[in-house]
Amino acid sequence: MFSANPMEKRLQIAGIFSITGLLVEALCLLWALPITFVIFAMAGGLLMFIGLVIFLYSLVSTT
Amino acid sequence: MSLATGLICGLVLFSVILIGILVSRPSVTTSRGGKILAFVALFILPIFCGLLGFASEMERSKTTVFCLSCHTMESFGKSLYVDDPTHIPAAHFQNHRVPADQACYSCHTDYAMFGTLKVKLYGLKHVYIYYLGKPPAPENIKLYEPYNNRECLHCHLGARSFEEGVVHNADPATLAAIKSNQLSCVSSGCHDVTHDIAHLNNAKFWKGGGD
Repeated sequence: MFSANPMEKRLQIAGIFSITGLLVEALCLLWALPITFVIFAMAGGLLMFIGLVIFLYSLVSTT
Repeated sequence: MSLATGLICGLVLFSVILIGILVSRPSVTTSRGGKILAFVALFILPIFCGLLGFASEMERSKTTVFCLSCHTMESFGKSLYVDDPTHIPAAHFQNHRVPADQACYSCHTDYAMFGTLKVKLYGLKHVYIYYLGKPPAPENIKLYEPYNNRECLHCHLGARSFEEGVVHNADPATLAAIKSNQLSCVSSGCHDVTHDIAHLNNAKFWKGGGD
């Protein structure tokens, strides 16, 4: 599934993290409960942050 | 689902589709257009969706329904329907002196700089205690700090009923003491009936509202 090119592979990993984070956040928006607020901020935010960091790393990495 | 939530979910879905294209065909990023697509899909859109979603969550966390969704708060929600004009939270809620859909937040926020952030951090602590700690019985719940008149004066300051109120002006020093928070609005003999959880069983309730 993953590309043999290291940069493309990093983009794919970043994409998977971002998709997961976005879906978690979208699901949390369906309920107005304190626990969904926490999951939105902690889990969704963390997954998206990891995705962003990997994406930015893929831009600056030389390999 | 509100229109705003629907729009955010739509944007999230759009972002997921774009990112999905990149994940399934990463070779598109070799072209200039592909690089722009990757930047938009993997950087701009997730940040945009995250900020919109966070703003939406923050707004929803101010709602009465949100606060009362925890069982611990049920009695406090019930106290908003007490049919007694001396019961301050009930009188404010039933007469829309505060927005009925944001009743808890309107009185229990902190009308100071970063006040919303401060109360939301308290809220995170409440969630932690609710799920991982031992929530206190409703009658044992106390405020973190004594109720500050600033929260009352946010609306009442300058209002004729407050400034010219007979009791407020009975003594020339009273009004100044209230405004400087030296005499609490909820002190004994003033507006001291707040959430009287202990006596809810004997209370008469207002049937209106529909919330």
